[in-house]
Amino acid sequence: MSRSHFDSGEKVKKKLKIIGFLCNWCSYAGADLAGTSRLQYPADIRIIRVPCSGRMNPLLVLKCLQEGADGVLVSGCHPGDCHYQEGNYYVRRRMLILKNLLEYFGIDKRRFHMSWVSASEGAKWADVVKKVVEDVRDACEEEVKTAG
Amino acid sequence: MVWKIQGVEGENYLESIKNFLNQLLKSKNVDAVLVPKRFPDGNNTAQVLITDPGKLDDIDPLAPVQMVNSAQIVKELTKDPVKEKIASVLRPCEVRATIELIKLKQILDARLYIIGYDCPGVYNVKDYIEKLEKSNGIGKEGFTLSYVNSFLSGKQDTIRESCQLCTHFTGNSADINIAWVGSNSSDVFIEVNSEKGQSLIEGLAGEKIGDLIERNQKINKILDERKKRQENEIDDFLGFMQRCIRCYNCREVCPLCYCKECLLKPEKMGYSSDRYLRRATKKGQIKMPVDTVLYHLTKINHMAFSCVSCGLCEQACPMDIPLGRIYNVFGRKAQALFDYEPGRSLDDELPVATFKEDELKEIEDVKE
Repeated sequence: MSRSHFDSGEKVKKKLKIIGFLCNWCSYAGADLAGTSRLQYPADIRIIRVPCSGRMNPLLVLKCLQEGADGVLVSGCHPGDCHYQEGNYYVRRRMLILKNLLEYFGIDKRRFHMSWVSASEGAKWADVVKKVVEDVRDACEEEVKTAG
Repeated sequence: MVWKIQGVEGENYLESIKNFLNQLLKSKNVDAVLVPKRFPDGNNTAQVLITDPGKLDDIDPLAPVQMVNSAQIVKELTKDPVKEKIASVLRPCEVRATIELIKLKQILDARLYIIGYDCPGVYNVKDYIEKLEKSNGIGKEGFTLSYVNSFLSGKQDTIRESCQLCTHFTGNSADINIAWVGSNSSDVFIEVNSEKGQSLIEGLAGEKIGDLIERNQKINKILDERKKRQENEIDDFLGFMQRCIRCYNCREVCPLCYCKECLLKPEKMGYSSDRYLRRATKKGQIKMPVDTVLYHLTKINHMAFSCVSCGLCEQACPMDIPLGRIYNVFGRKAQALFDYEPGRSLDDELPVATFKEDELKEIEDVKE
């Protein structure tokens, strides 16, 4: 897996620390499936299992970013498929306002992402991680540039 | 429906409001009234709970000073079920905070009657005391009345910033609203907005009248001016946050910060000493006290939907951070996302306590 950190074998890309909050019932199982299916995706993501995406408090996201995480991904069951019927409907509203406030924190919106990944979508999980890593990396590089 | 209460010739609005509350208590439509009252000592007015109509002298809801957001007092008064009916005379921002707290199940409203009134705005407490002392002995009542007159003539520049920005200065969502803006004499109008309000004025002296056209014109004029003042961006949020000393004053005075177990309490936000050192080592330096931005952003995240922009946070801030403006901008942004207006009606559901199945598709920003 570590091969994905090499850009055509020339220079090593900076390793990122992205925190993924995955719901126990869908996304975590989806990530597990990606692993058992031996799908490859960047190892820049650290996964934290939460009982339901509805468990997510905005403070958890802010705290991660503040303590030095490069990005945060929140992933849950598809709307309508929540194990607890409606947890992901609520989190979607809550995270929307968080996302709108991030810029005041001086944080690029691209550092925060949400996705819905079901237990059978191992391939989607791998794709999602690739895209998130790409986006966060863009945000990081842009910040380095503007910082001079 | 609008109900006119005849004022006494040559008297002022305060007297008419007093007469109305007097009638309310005497008619036994309510058992107690919560209303701001002047005290002989000290330069302040405070909320008092009155059961004896004889104690209604010196009430002064129009005094341009707000010590607390009275929704907090209403919360204290109604946390347990009681037999007595309480009418609370509240500023519009307090009415709206009360309605939010009812929705948040912090206030039992079965025996609560909300009486709003046209609010002319308030000074910061410090300014109020200073101006009162310099007012050449016209007394507290005289000061209030001269303030009301200056409000009617459109002078607004010395009041608190939150009040200058306030576009909800009439108690539209209260059970009844005591309206005096647009009245040419000492008459006041009672706008009845609910069935509860109707039961409140049952059997009182007064007459039913039609729409108040002059009043609406006056109010719209003030509204237009204020909307122009509202800003849509905060220039230097992080800069302001550097001033924060995390004293928790803004949390204490906020009527919507009701959690008994606060996520942001000092024990939860603090770290062990070695952790501070580790964090400092990681970055080379950290600002103390830590996490002031995190504190405010989390607080905003928690109450932005219900923020009524009463501005008490700004008044309580020892570091003069323009919190009123900051929370006003953030609150309006968050509320606009779901077309929600805090305190508009008991029927509007809190945006975070409800959902639509078919919405916010854009939040899933990483797809296959």
